[in-house]
Amino acid sequence: MDNLTEAQQLQQQQQQSLQIDCLNENTNSNSDNKNSKTQREQERGGGGEKDMGHIGGNSIHRSSSRPQLDLSGAAIQGNFEERDPTILLPNQSDDISHLALDIGGSLIKLVYFSRHEDRPVNDRIKRTIKERLGISNGSRRSYPILGGRLHFVKFETTNINECLDFISSKQLHCGGMDARLWHSGVSNENAVIKATGGGAFKYADLFKERLGVSIEKEDEMNCLVAGANFLLKAIRHEAFTHMEGHKAFVQIDHNDLFPYLLVNIGSGVSMIKVDGDGKFQRVSGTNVGGGTYWGLGRLLTKCKSFDELLELSQRGDNRTIDMLVGDIYGGTDYSKIGLSASTIASSFGKAISENKELEDYRPEDISLSLLRMISYNIGQISYLNALRFGLKRIFFGGFFIRGHAYTMDTISFAVQFWSKGAAQAMFLRHEGFLGALGAFMSYEKHGLDDLMVHQLVERFPMGAPYIGGNVHGPPLGDLNEKISWMEKFILMGTEITAPVPMSPPGTTGLGGFEVPSSKGDILRSDASKLNVGVLHLVPTLEVFPLLADPKTYEPNTIDLSDPGELEYWFTVLSGHLPDLVDKAVASEGGTDDAKRRGDAFARAFSAHLARLMEEPAAYGKLGLANLLELREECLREFHFFDAYRSIKQRENEASLAVLPDLLMEIDSMDEETRLLTLIEGVLAANIFDWGSRACVDLYHEGTIIEIYKMSRKKMQRPWRVDDFDAFNERVLGSGEKKPCQYKRALLFVDNSGADIVLGMLPLARELLRRGTEVVLVANSLPALNDVTAMELPEIVAEAAKHCDILRRAAEAGGLLVDAMINIQDGTKDSSSSLPLMVVENGCGSPCIDLRQVSSELADAAKDADLVILEGMGRSLHTNFNAKFTCDALKLAMVKNQRLAEKLINGNIYDCVCRFEPAC
Amino acid sequence: MDRNGVMEGELEGKEMNKCVEEEVSHLALDIGGSLIKMVYFCVSNNCSVHQGILSSKGSCGLSNGNANCSVLKGKLHFLKFETTKINECLEFLSSKQFHRNGGYCHGDCASDKNIIKATGGGAFKFADLFKEKLGMTLDKVDEMDSLVAGANFLLKEASREAFTYMDGQKEYVQIDQKDLYPYLLVNIGSGVSMIKVDGDGKFERVSGTSVGGGTFLGLGKLLTKCKSFDELLELSHSGNNRVIDMLVGDIFGGMDYSKIGLASTAIASSFGKAVSEDKDLEDYRAEDVARSLLRMISNNIGQIAYLNALRFGLKRIFFGGFFIRGHAYTMDTISVAVNFWSKGEAKAMFLRHEGFLGALGAFMSYKEDGLTDLMAHHFVEQVPIKPSLCAGGSLNNSSILEDVNENGSIECTVQLSN
Repeated sequence: MDNLTEAQQLQQQQQQSLQIDCLNENTNSNSDNKNSKTQREQERGGGGEKDMGHIGGNSIHRSSSRPQLDLSGAAIQGNFEERDPTILLPNQSDDISHLALDIGGSLIKLVYFSRHEDRPVNDRIKRTIKERLGISNGSRRSYPILGGRLHFVKFETTNINECLDFISSKQLHCGGMDARLWHSGVSNENAVIKATGGGAFKYADLFKERLGVSIEKEDEMNCLVAGANFLLKAIRHEAFTHMEGHKAFVQIDHNDLFPYLLVNIGSGVSMIKVDGDGKFQRVSGTNVGGGTYWGLGRLLTKCKSFDELLELSQRGDNRTIDMLVGDIYGGTDYSKIGLSASTIASSFGKAISENKELEDYRPEDISLSLLRMISYNIGQISYLNALRFGLKRIFFGGFFIRGHAYTMDTISFAVQFWSKGAAQAMFLRHEGFLGALGAFMSYEKHGLDDLMVHQLVERFPMGAPYIGGNVHGPPLGDLNEKISWMEKFILMGTEITAPVPMSPPGTTGLGGFEVPSSKGDILRSDASKLNVGVLHLVPTLEVFPLLADPKTYEPNTIDLSDPGELEYWFTVLSGHLPDLVDKAVASEGGTDDAKRRGDAFARAFSAHLARLMEEPAAYGKLGLANLLELREECLREFHFFDAYRSIKQRENEASLAVLPDLLMEIDSMDEETRLLTLIEGVLAANIFDWGSRACVDLYHEGTIIEIYKMSRKKMQRPWRVDDFDAFNERVLGSGEKKPCQYKRALLFVDNSGADIVLGMLPLARELLRRGTEVVLVANSLPALNDVTAMELPEIVAEAAKHCDILRRAAEAGGLLVDAMINIQDGTKDSSSSLPLMVVENGCGSPCIDLRQVSSELADAAKDADLVILEGMGRSLHTNFNAKFTCDALKLAMVKNQRLAEKLINGNIYDCVCRFEPAC
Repeated sequence: MDRNGVMEGELEGKEMNKCVEEEVSHLALDIGGSLIKMVYFCVSNNCSVHQGILSSKGSCGLSNGNANCSVLKGKLHFLKFETTKINECLEFLSSKQFHRNGGYCHGDCASDKNIIKATGGGAFKFADLFKEKLGMTLDKVDEMDSLVAGANFLLKEASREAFTYMDGQKEYVQIDQKDLYPYLLVNIGSGVSMIKVDGDGKFERVSGTSVGGGTFLGLGKLLTKCKSFDELLELSHSGNNRVIDMLVGDIFGGMDYSKIGLASTAIASSFGKAVSEDKDLEDYRAEDVARSLLRMISNNIGQIAYLNALRFGLKRIFFGGFFIRGHAYTMDTISVAVNFWSKGEAKAMFLRHEGFLGALGAFMSYKEDGLTDLMAHHFVEQVPIKPSLCAGGSLNNSSILEDVNENGSIECTVQLSN
């Protein structure tokens, strides 16, 4: 390429593009940029809002009213697998597979499936990209895939009418709301609902009468096992251990899952040896189970519900009622056989010898004593059975556990004690829903069974049973409901998070054994209750194919299980919250409705934070990436689909305005200087980040270009992590080493504005010039001011106006389909240029988990031999330690002092340029 | 149902009178969390002290020929008190003048006269009390050692000691002494200890559970207001657990869950029905509650015992301890549990002197002190005797069966080395 020509062309284009306002100011010196920025802001204040829906928000907004339209479209076209949820429509009996029940003696567990709301997708661009990438529809899968959500709800069996109302209101028995619209007037006389549990027999008539559906009974054991197998395979952090109040998630190797012992603690206890899918045997059980706890507990304490009884146990001291070794031995141990004075020799043994009546004992103490007795007993019998069959893993499920810390601790302790540490008790986050899930899986033809594996992402909407073990009724679907629920929730919030006094630690144990010591006052009333979120089935998500070792890959660099770390990030996020709420409200026009939603969002997110602060594992394994994603999810839940929309737009425009100057400057350099300048530019431009407090403060002090220039000036090598020379050598060669001709580079981009426009685009351009195809990888959904895959084509198109290289590449990559430039003209010479493409990464978070990327990205990655990760979220918070099978470059400016110290032993604004040759 | 009376106050007078006639020799205690078990040896009036080699019955087979040893013929008596009523025990001891006599008839063991072998947790806890009230020193013997020694002794020396109990049928088991070990000894006291016994003094506590006799009585008292273990057992006899337990049939609408081998009458969840019905404690019959409780605990112990036996490849499981008390339904439930889980391969066996293993073992430990020698070899049970004098009060109970003398005294000889 001829640098001069390029620069000349650029100038020409600039002149052609004068209709873009403010461009003239930017071609001048930068001295009055500050003014012009302000001016632009004023000019765009209203205008930006008017067309804000253009990029994406609007289509999301409309989503609630759109399904009918979209689906009819899909039915006609039937081409795009991503938006083709119609497989359930034509056949009514299939519709019913949206719902399955487990009707137990005490609780009804309900699992139902809902379609995903339609995501805004730019199909034309997508289709073009697919063609470029050589993906043809249906080549990967021969049938359409249903994307959607699995919801988990429970009701008390005594309130079965609530359950029926719920099903009826959501029309779950005939395929959900949407189905009702489509099939209005169609009767469902032949409708069938799969159900398991004893009540499936008992309440069959009631279902027929009330809903007109037949219950098809599924074998209970089959369901339990199918449910457990599914959960263990499909949900990443489903299993965990619980020792001394500490939860640790266990990564289950799917190839080494079987055999295991499944202990389902319902009213009674079943112990099932599972050898494979559908291969199992009930090897044991005990009649001392949840029903015993509740039944005896009710008789002894007059509690009205299981949860009340469990709650009582939190404040109990079983020493008043259990006979301890010390009671028998006068306070001394029986150390010869390893029994210490504080261990329980005989459950309820003290109730023997004292002249006390039932009324003289505290119900709290009774409940705790009972709980320990039963939990320990189950743990012991389970271990003995595991031992008998040589099973290493014991999974405990069923509604007795309810994420209750003491229950789990006691069971774990029993297993650990008896096995001398050789066996571990593991628990399941969806413990109560095994049967219902299994019944759900038992539907044939819903097309979900194979696909579910690896493709579920769990979300925690506020409407889901937020406070673990309690029965909350239906998850809320309607935004208004959600907001008012949130407002109500705040009233209760103080109660929920208030500490509950605990019995002194280390007081008791069962069966003559030490108590699992608790963390004492750290445990709260709801401390360990599990939150069951909604499982999102995104059939298009898969593992990034260039990961060197997907099995050991851990996206999070920062593990929030360190309490100090957790606290720090909570403080950061809390501090950032008011600013975010302001932005979010402003992005929706600052209306009263937006304010109300903004308040609700702030409360909801604060509540999530408070909850997590108390119990970091409340929602599964917690890393910084999860936390950041939670915030974005939370925003979306309250219908803030793009809080930074106007800011992004403004910054994109400002940056695009100075891009020609920059390109000209770059083009005047020699090869080596140019590469360095471009990398410097990426690092410098990465300073623009609304996710960083420090940077937000910076914004108040200068214009974008000023900051960029200042930032670039500061970029003096050596950087804190500086592998530039290695990268330089690889790209340009040195001595006898030949330059490496990359075939295709994947650029994971970060922020809008200067970051993408002045940092990554020029780098992409350089790669294109060097004969490398470039794929820009951007978010599917907005997160902070990150640029999205939907916004990129427009940005590229705009940049292409100033640069021929970009224009031809963008045309070749099909990015200009939607832009003003006529595609027909472009395609003529597209063959002469390598393509610049855009793919969505499948996520809506500032970070990226490479185990779940879009299938387009996975496809694009197949021919790629260079991965560039840019920005803190994707290259530091996550993936800092990720290894790839191709060369990888990680570029970021560290905009957080603590992270800088921790990760690179440096300071804020230090830079990371990490180059790692292919593994 | 047979009922082994706890020594009640009104029995004491009778008891004392009878025992005064006899010369009380060695005595040992097992002071547990709920019961105090006592074993003592009375020299029979009609049986004089024999100097020399043989007892009159000629069945001792003494081999050491020690001219200085004396052989006593008499009876081993078994007696129990509730631990809460320890004063009754102290009074009894006081009245029998054990502490004065030093427990020994010949006064040639003066230095030890105030020492009593004792085991169980209470041997530690109440040591001061015995010292203070009676001036007695409790010589503490390890509880497990005692249990095992007691069981080994009984299994080897007493004929018709072990039996199975299924469907109301009691069947004595002839134990081949050469093939006795290893076995699992399950001692059900307040709590439950499970001990793998490999030989004399060779054993290991391999398991246990806190759900034992103490749980039965403790929970039972809270639930039924029964005052005593026996009262509770008595209640359970006429109870119907189906009222309160959730059966497999209750869940499956009266059907079996035959696929996994559960009969409709099997208990799915003990006390499980108490959950779903709108009934309070007062609405349940105490009998039903007691029955349900008994089944829950017996079944649980049977299951855990079987699993442990399986784990160590032990063919025989002996159940002892005061929880059982020869109570038919208890034994039945334990047997059924073992039979069910082992699919008929293992059998639960019971010991007639079940409650006194520890006390017997403590008694046996006198030999270690050289005061008495060869005790084990010299106990000869001559008849599976009449009911113990000490437990005689229970004779008045009409429900006593023919084989009621579970804790009957054992006639035997004791050789003392001088």
